[in-house]
Amino acid sequence: MKRNYITLIVILVGGFFTSCTNDVEENVYDKYQADEFYATPEGADVALAAVYAQVAGNWNGVGYAGADNGWYDLNSMSADEQVIPHRNDGAWQLDFARLYQHEWLPSDLIVNNTWNWLYQAIFSANLAVEQLENAEAAPTKIAEAKTLRAFFYYLLMDDYGNIPFYTENNVTVEELPQASRQEVFNFIVTELEENIPQLSETKGGEYYGRFNKWAGYALLAKVYLNAEVYTGTAQWQACIDAIEELEIGGFSLHPGAANEGSPLGYQYYELFGDRLPEDETILAMFATANVVSRNIYTLRSFSGPHAQELFGVSGWNGTIVPEAFYNRYDDNDIRKAQFLVGEQPGGVTYTPTVSNLDNPGADPFAGVRNQKFYPATPLDGGGASNDFPIYRYADFMLMKAECYVRLGNAGAAKPLLDEVRQRAGLSTLESDPSLEDIYNERGLELNWEGHRRQDMIRFGTFLEANEFRGVSQEYRTLFPIPTSALDANPNLVQNPGY
Amino acid sequence: MRKKLKEKKNPFSFRFSTTTWVVLLAVFYGSTFQVKATSFTYADTWQQQDQAIEISGTITDDQGLPLPGVNIMEQGTSNGTMTDFDGNYTLSVSSENAVLVYSSLGFESREIVVGTQREIDFEMVASVADLDEVVVVGYGATTKRDVTGAVATISEEEFNQGAITNPLQQISGKAPGVNISQQGSEPGSSPSVRIRGITSLIGGNDPLVVVDGVQGNMDLLNQIPPNEIKSIDILKDASATAVYGSRGAPGVIIVTTKSNKAGTSTFEYSSTASLDVLSNKLDVLNADQWWEQAQRYGVPVSANHGSQTDWYDILTQTGYTQNHTLSFGAGSENFSYRGSVSAILQDGVVINSNNEKYIARLSATQKALDDRLAITMNLNTGILQTSNSIQSIGNAAFTSNLITNSYFMRPTDPVFDTDGSYYTDPNVFEYLNPYAVAQTTVDERENNNLFVSLDADLEVYEGLTVGWFGSWRKTNNTIGFFLPVESTDANAINQDGFANINNSHQDEKLTNVSLTYKNTFGDHKLEALALYEWQQQTYQGNYAQARGFFNNETTYNALQGGDLSDVRTGDISSYKNDRSLVSFLGRLNYTLFNKYLLTLSYRRDGSSVFGENNKWGNFPAASLGWRIDQEDFMQEGIFNQLKLRGGFGITGNQQGLFPQQSLSLVSPGGITYFGGEEIRNFQISQNSNEDLKWERKKQTNIGIDFSLFESRLSGSIDAFTATTDDLLFNYTVPQPPFPYNTIAANVGSIRNRGLEFALSYEVIRTENLSFTMAGNLSLLDNEVLKLSGSINGVDLNTNYIPWGENSFLIEGEAIGTYSILQHEGINNVGTEVVQDINGDGTIDQGTRSPDRVQQGSALPTYNFAINPTVKYKNFDFSMLWRGSGGNKIYNGLRKNMSMMESIGNQNVLQSAVNLDLYTSPYASNLWLEDGDFVRLENVTAGYNLALEDSKYIKSLRLSITGNNLWLITDYSGVDPELNFNGASGFGGDFGIYPRTTSVALGLQVKFK
Repeated sequence: MKRNYITLIVILVGGFFTSCTNDVEENVYDKYQADEFYATPEGADVALAAVYAQVAGNWNGVGYAGADNGWYDLNSMSADEQVIPHRNDGAWQLDFARLYQHEWLPSDLIVNNTWNWLYQAIFSANLAVEQLENAEAAPTKIAEAKTLRAFFYYLLMDDYGNIPFYTENNVTVEELPQASRQEVFNFIVTELEENIPQLSETKGGEYYGRFNKWAGYALLAKVYLNAEVYTGTAQWQACIDAIEELEIGGFSLHPGAANEGSPLGYQYYELFGDRLPEDETILAMFATANVVSRNIYTLRSFSGPHAQELFGVSGWNGTIVPEAFYNRYDDNDIRKAQFLVGEQPGGVTYTPTVSNLDNPGADPFAGVRNQKFYPATPLDGGGASNDFPIYRYADFMLMKAECYVRLGNAGAAKPLLDEVRQRAGLSTLESDPSLEDIYNERGLELNWEGHRRQDMIRFGTFLEANEFRGVSQEYRTLFPIPTSALDANPNLVQNPGY
Repeated sequence: MRKKLKEKKNPFSFRFSTTTWVVLLAVFYGSTFQVKATSFTYADTWQQQDQAIEISGTITDDQGLPLPGVNIMEQGTSNGTMTDFDGNYTLSVSSENAVLVYSSLGFESREIVVGTQREIDFEMVASVADLDEVVVVGYGATTKRDVTGAVATISEEEFNQGAITNPLQQISGKAPGVNISQQGSEPGSSPSVRIRGITSLIGGNDPLVVVDGVQGNMDLLNQIPPNEIKSIDILKDASATAVYGSRGAPGVIIVTTKSNKAGTSTFEYSSTASLDVLSNKLDVLNADQWWEQAQRYGVPVSANHGSQTDWYDILTQTGYTQNHTLSFGAGSENFSYRGSVSAILQDGVVINSNNEKYIARLSATQKALDDRLAITMNLNTGILQTSNSIQSIGNAAFTSNLITNSYFMRPTDPVFDTDGSYYTDPNVFEYLNPYAVAQTTVDERENNNLFVSLDADLEVYEGLTVGWFGSWRKTNNTIGFFLPVESTDANAINQDGFANINNSHQDEKLTNVSLTYKNTFGDHKLEALALYEWQQQTYQGNYAQARGFFNNETTYNALQGGDLSDVRTGDISSYKNDRSLVSFLGRLNYTLFNKYLLTLSYRRDGSSVFGENNKWGNFPAASLGWRIDQEDFMQEGIFNQLKLRGGFGITGNQQGLFPQQSLSLVSPGGITYFGGEEIRNFQISQNSNEDLKWERKKQTNIGIDFSLFESRLSGSIDAFTATTDDLLFNYTVPQPPFPYNTIAANVGSIRNRGLEFALSYEVIRTENLSFTMAGNLSLLDNEVLKLSGSINGVDLNTNYIPWGENSFLIEGEAIGTYSILQHEGINNVGTEVVQDINGDGTIDQGTRSPDRVQQGSALPTYNFAINPTVKYKNFDFSMLWRGSGGNKIYNGLRKNMSMMESIGNQNVLQSAVNLDLYTSPYASNLWLEDGDFVRLENVTAGYNLALEDSKYIKSLRLSITGNNLWLITDYSGVDPELNFNGASGFGGDFGIYPRTTSVALGLQVKFK
């Protein structure tokens, strides 16, 4: 009897063992496994879309012109066109003022965010290239991913100079070389020359916000325009050639005329609205607040009650336009409509002069405000839905004019400059333009669009003294490699001076 | 119908008011209340034998009270009985030579030769050295006499008293090497416990909890009624915890709940009620002081709104905590049961924070098959409902809990606007009115839990038992959150108010089958165990969010009332995953000559969360004990007990491994614009690691247990060294070649070495008066041995990993070592200047910067507790002093409240006025402080009354307890007892929920 139920128990226990020991395998119910996911053509397309997700970005300093503390702030506030002062009512940290005063540190958040964002973008571009090639996707898509990668490397090289460089996601940190600015430049030029011809020629529609052939040439023109800064060798003619290629795409200036239905009463400001007009826009960054990215620039500038009165959401009382920059605009210039001084709705009065940026800071309502990106809906206190012009034709007309002047052909430059001026409601120039004319016009036309630092460096004005600092030091033309990147990779060499 | 549905349906929804108290007290002495004690007869249990001699008697305890449940056995036979409710017994024995053995837990066993006696009455003597005390060691029990590992047993009598809301509070300070600390007194929050230090970085340091065989995480402790715990055993060293294999490394807490012994009947009510007040707060500027300082820094008059508001005061209140338990039960020879209902109700010191916990328990034991089979079933179910004060809110500049936000408020700001709405200042970016948040936010959590177990043991052959144990545990959590526009929170305003519900569901199943063999062959005593165990946990949940509600009436209860055209990324999500663990365990206990003890164990675990290449792990352990006091040469001497023990074992930790962690996975990542439309974006969310496995901890322990001078002085000393290898960490890896910038991998190691002392001395021992000084001390030395290693062939040079504000993981140093810039002074424009240590002209803020200096660690190096107890007749009095130190605290809150650059839109500390610092680009040691403290944690005075003449009441206890009465520290913040859990960011102070000082009245009634 006893033996019987011992036997029974042994059988029962044995049964348990065999049924349960195979139970240690993993079950996945709610995610996709990476290998299987990207092995399909649909998956490969998703890889490309993921790279564009990096362009738009969002909070935490991610993205081209997404939100606070990222690439846009780094490249705009280190120039002469905008700054966020610390306020004597305690508002705003001092990082932005430090940018304007050329006192930024390798540990500064904005320097760090920009670097991290760009390397994340490079990674996803590398991944997309690999996935698309593995999936034997259409050559135009592979070319598009490679162009995007070149775009991010161009931004990295422009800000940081000598940078870690890789194109395949399977090297070790020791094998990750810090390429010279020249090497990165060469890579970008070669990559673009090879791939642009394969890009799509479609404008708008499914190519809105994407690198088509024309946006590709626009990027190439930018790279050539600054070749002297990057490599010591100017490439003015190559820049003109690239611009002429992009002109085949058929671009023209969007009208500037007064129009009641347009933002700020001028058709011109549609260039900074919700859906950028296709006649002038070459490459746009798409934004819909709270869905894909956001545009914060007007809300960040307006004071709390002012924005509350106009848009029903509180303003941030942040960015101002330095008085000297504001004073460059002619009263007839329709582009002056973007600035606000004096009494405003909501009972605030902006005074143009900012007397102090850091200690004790600016008075609460000091400083000229800007509404170039007049908030498009949907919007909330976190931002509006204006798209952002990465490249638009006016920029390239002025670039072409600049190259002509630099090549000694100021006559060819004049009609280009005149056209831009006339759209703004200004008269034509009385004589052939000088480089200074072009520099000034670029400032007036392209302010708050992320180009100013690069332009100032190219024209040699970046280090000049301003109302809040003396002459800056030469090494400030490059940003430092962030402290955290040096911590992670001891092989990196910091830029000189930092 | 609708109205009816809205009513709270809660089976335990009675609240104890003062009236109830009065009624209950009246009832004790009244005659209307009848409690019928079941009477048991055993007359037929044992057949009379030939020439039987009938023995009867009454057994009492040392106070003369009848002692039920005393086991009486005729030596060498299976003949026996038990005393009944009145301490009476009757037993027939075969001859006058029979020896009767009387035994009862907590008393010295006594052997009596029957001889001519027919009536045997005597007093059982309480056992002094507690050598027979049961020590639960996991999958079995032994006695204190025989235990060879480092195990702390804390029984009910030793528990801390007062308004207890979590079982851990009862054992705080009671065992060396077991550090229990609670950060603040948030209702519903649980203390954290660390056994022998921090042995893992991200792998989890929470011990495994076992309640009557049911295994779980720390939340299991929060689901059992503190009053119904009989004892808590803490397995500290690897030789003890190795039987739990890959879950044993952080230590094991084993809880044994009360049950009724045969011959007993219980009906008890116990209750405590406490008033909780704030013990300490920061000194901030009042309205006049603030404005005086603000003017010095050019703050415009527009920032002064002319009120005098004490923000801290309006956000706080006097808290109230109650704890009630009603329990009942009885036992006969073949059947016993016990049931209880507990309610723990808390109103916090921050307005609108409260917690209610209701727990019901039932356990029943049945014997069958000629007493060869014993079946025990336990059922425990509870509801925990919490209304939280918000943990994290604020703006870009500072985010903390609500109460910390109140410190930051300008005292000149009014609470309400002229139109009666909550005040906001439109000129301050993302202005937050904390009073509005407290009054308008809904943050409700409900946890419904149930666990059931069945334990069946069948003796199939003499000494051989087959056991089967099965349990399941279901936990449902619902978190409902609603933040309306009126809260003034910027996020709420932007979304026109938002609400969300988070539901999660957890199922845990466990079953094991075991064979136990116990026998004694002459001088050899043997106990062997073989066990197979299977467990599976399934986790499932969903989340939904909506915004833009028509009004605030429905809070989070009708998400469909939101603006459904505005659905955003992350509004809807759900998940499911599971994990399973299969284990084989063998254990052998061998005792020779009752002097030499040996324990060997071996466990093999396979788990689904381990990587493909490491599915199975082995966890062996061995320990030895030598009962020196049993040796002949020790018979004459001062020692009553002396035991030397030592053990070594390997344990694992797999808490830090989550399902699917070893796989490369792709998950949806928001919306992106591509191809002319807004489409779903996908991204790789983690790297794969096929080598992923448990952390492996090797521990050696040597200890000595002693008692001497007639057991007046007793104690133990333990020394251990424990090294965790294959340390789990989310290593930052270069994105080439890895597709994601971190990877969970087993690299690196940490070592903890420690000394533990526990000492108890009975200073006075007389009939009416006893005075015992007890105390314990643990010293801990922690060192990160290695962080670097190689993952998938990629060498990692990992070191100086930031682990908090200015604290790091540095090879060769303790976890959380501060490496920090040195404050030098303040320059003429009010900016902080730090020392340029290497003199190169720049201040390098890099993690390995030569300008940083190492300055202590966030980890305390010593913990101690002193526990004097006095008993005089029916009075008792005890104190618990507890302290720790040797650590540094980075006072981030003080930094945030000391910068005059911000005075225009926030308040600052009183101390900031003298400091006169405008701004600082650095985080220097100016904010680093010593963390040493001593706290008078508990003072309890009690009066016990035995009511022999009362018809209904057996005994009564009244007590008063003061908690957190005195804090001695140099730390300038609210409380130096912060989060010491060892996770990233531990030991820094960025504002905590305040700690309370409380006075509790307790009542305990045992009915007849």
